[in-house]
Amino acid sequence: MHMADALLSPAVGLTMGAVSVAAIKVSVSKVRKSELSEKMVPIMGVAGAMVFAGQMINFAIPATGSSGHIGGGIMLAGLLGGVPAFLSITAVLIIQCLFFADGGLLALGCNIFNMGVVPCLIIYPLVFKPLLSKGIDLKRLSAASIASAVIGLELGAFCVVLQTVASGITVLPFGTFMGLMLPIHLVIGLVEGFVTAAVLCFIYKMRPEILHAAHHNTPYFGSQNLAPAKDGPAQGGGGSTKRVVVILAVVTVLVGGGLSLFASTHPDGLEWAIGKTTEQAFGVETGLETDGSFYESVAGVQNSTAFMPDYAFASDPENVGGTSVAGLVGAGITFVLAAATGLVIAKVKKRKSKCPT
Amino acid sequence: MPDISARVRELRSLENLAAGQTVIHRLHPLAKLLSAFVFIVFVVSFGRYEFVGLVPYLFYPFVLMAMADLPYKVLLTRVLVAVPFCLFAGVSNVFFDTGAAFAVGGVAVSLGMLSLATILLKMYLTVMAALLLVATTPFTELTAQLRRLFVPVIFVMVFEMTFRYIGVLFEEVYSMMTAYRLRSGTGKALDMRHMGSFVGQLLLRGFDRAERVHGAMCCRGYSLKHSPPARHRFRGADVLALATVCLPVVGLRIVGVLL
Amino acid sequence: MIQVRNLIVEYPDGTKAVDSVGFSVGPGENVALIGANGAGKSSLVLALVGVLLPAQGEIHVGETVLHKKSLREIRSRVGLVFQNPDDQLFMPNIFEDVAFGPRSFGCDEEETTQRVRAALSKLGIEHLAERSPLKLSGGEKRLAAIATVLAMDPDYLLFDEPTAFLDPRARRNLIDILGELPQGKLIATHDLAFAGEMCSRVLLLERGEIVADAGIELLRDGVALERVGL
Repeated sequence: MHMADALLSPAVGLTMGAVSVAAIKVSVSKVRKSELSEKMVPIMGVAGAMVFAGQMINFAIPATGSSGHIGGGIMLAGLLGGVPAFLSITAVLIIQCLFFADGGLLALGCNIFNMGVVPCLIIYPLVFKPLLSKGIDLKRLSAASIASAVIGLELGAFCVVLQTVASGITVLPFGTFMGLMLPIHLVIGLVEGFVTAAVLCFIYKMRPEILHAAHHNTPYFGSQNLAPAKDGPAQGGGGSTKRVVVILAVVTVLVGGGLSLFASTHPDGLEWAIGKTTEQAFGVETGLETDGSFYESVAGVQNSTAFMPDYAFASDPENVGGTSVAGLVGAGITFVLAAATGLVIAKVKKRKSKCPT
Repeated sequence: MPDISARVRELRSLENLAAGQTVIHRLHPLAKLLSAFVFIVFVVSFGRYEFVGLVPYLFYPFVLMAMADLPYKVLLTRVLVAVPFCLFAGVSNVFFDTGAAFAVGGVAVSLGMLSLATILLKMYLTVMAALLLVATTPFTELTAQLRRLFVPVIFVMVFEMTFRYIGVLFEEVYSMMTAYRLRSGTGKALDMRHMGSFVGQLLLRGFDRAERVHGAMCCRGYSLKHSPPARHRFRGADVLALATVCLPVVGLRIVGVLL
Repeated sequence: MIQVRNLIVEYPDGTKAVDSVGFSVGPGENVALIGANGAGKSSLVLALVGVLLPAQGEIHVGETVLHKKSLREIRSRVGLVFQNPDDQLFMPNIFEDVAFGPRSFGCDEEETTQRVRAALSKLGIEHLAERSPLKLSGGEKRLAAIATVLAMDPDYLLFDEPTAFLDPRARRNLIDILGELPQGKLIATHDLAFAGEMCSRVLLLERGEIVADAGIELLRDGVALERVGL
């Protein structure tokens, strides 16, 4: 579910970046205010590393013959509380981006939102906690884990679709894209939900105080230590209402921003409809270079693929970015030049290092 | 579980590269961070079909790689990670965007193919830019720079500790998995039934470890108040490097728009 | 002088990890704290620097009494080397890790660098400064962990199983290096040969209580050791 730079427009990337930075700022100041903040830092760090380690564990999905791995947002939120879990996940996402090329630098904002803000700051307080409001037992814990994981992943996938479509890099129609992403992530969410439930239930059986403490906003860790005050009072209801307000504000900005961007990349429905009807004519117009068989064969592929609706975006030739055969030849030459420059520099450097004078 | 040790090796290989001593490595981390960011934003700003306009940007990764003595292979394998999702979104363009762009020697190229090529090129450029940043900047310099950019200390600490403990916990998972497999007699993957207790145990051990780590930090006077000093000065060379990247990057884009 | 009087440390469930313990460690003195697994060695050592909260009793370091407010001062004067170096080394490279202590205690960058270099060279590991803890051997990690504490320039050093995870050569090397350090040391271990070589006094701990406080000859008393499981 990692969003890539290549599918993003700068506007969407930077907007989501701003949203995520705001979420990090708010979360950090929340953690800082908590009496156990100093204790939480190593816990969050190790928890983040554990998400990584956990993702390395492949488990067999029954009756499918395939294997999957855990994502971890809801799991961490259940153990640490939403805000610390969010910071851990964010650290994980940044490391995945920088060191494993999973998602890009510009796409970080989107990824932090889809996989951090959504499960930890939206689903956890709005789905997971309410489901456990009557007290924690194994049944409710399982139900809450599965529901949260599924809803969280679906919402995350929905955000991926919104961000991709708003960026306008792919022409995949909104509906089709949704039709592909949501069912896939329903399955993934169910698997993740079952695993989350299994893990949380296990920990609940072994050390119930961890889950109780996270549920009441008093991280368990630090019970036996001198450094911060013991038995600090719960942060109270005030904190959670404030959190909801912040979340709602963030969501409003996001949805508003997303929709307006979406609108700007698809100027209006009318133009789009016109484009659709004139597509035939367009095909013929540029047909100077296009022989009919090409167009037909593409259309044939299109019709034979069941889920594809039978339209194509019409584009005016200006949009092609000056691409032509000449352009392509130029591009090829540029590529060769760039590669050659690199090679020459590497060669020169090597020669220099051989004779150090 | 070959993939665990492979992931750790991956992580370390970039760290090893970052320990190099070339001109690029010696640049101020802020200069590298900014140029990578500007580069990515401008690459991404190109339109769906502007393949040709993007090609000159290939100079950036090629030249940087050569100047920083980075092995092409290591970086390329990592770029491949980003391929599947881009391909998924890009291939669909081929089907949906069937208008013809132009023809090469009688074979027509559709707009969809052109946009797929553009997406893949963008992917290569952006992923490379991020990889080049970490392959030429030691992790500690990067995080110190983040603090100087007013990223909250708490967050940078979490980031640093996550990075540090990945290796330790990977080793833990690795030995737990090995012990599991030796007794399970089945394939490589963990049985779903055991997932809860396996991951649960790992988490509990991790938390215990976190408590000990915190204790060790406290013994050395850990508090969230101290802020790190700047170890590098922004020098003329850094300004020059930044300009060398940004001017063509911005310039090429403007030229593209004007044309 | 570290003085401990009537110290009681409890686990969260109320059982006593350390029970009514009293002893002292003089400046420059090397004292071994021996006992079987679970005898309470680690808890005792952790309590001495306030990582574990004593339920009762007093700990003096020089004139200072261990108390919430004096924690910082106590910790700058008493350095604890943890059993597992992985708990102690958490920064991405050794230099940063060793610099962590001095920086936390408010040294400026120049002094920090100087202290880090001094600590590393005292242990003969200057070449590890830029390395990641991930890539070190067990022996190197142990020395690096000791360096992180030495850089704080403490008067006393506490060790929790310093020879754990070490091969014979690394163990030998550690004995040589620790012998050179002038600080007073309290070494919790069940490596009796190590204790015999390093220390002049032995505290024998059994189920949280000190059952013997004697000279090095105690280590040759097979009957007494056998009784406590050593």
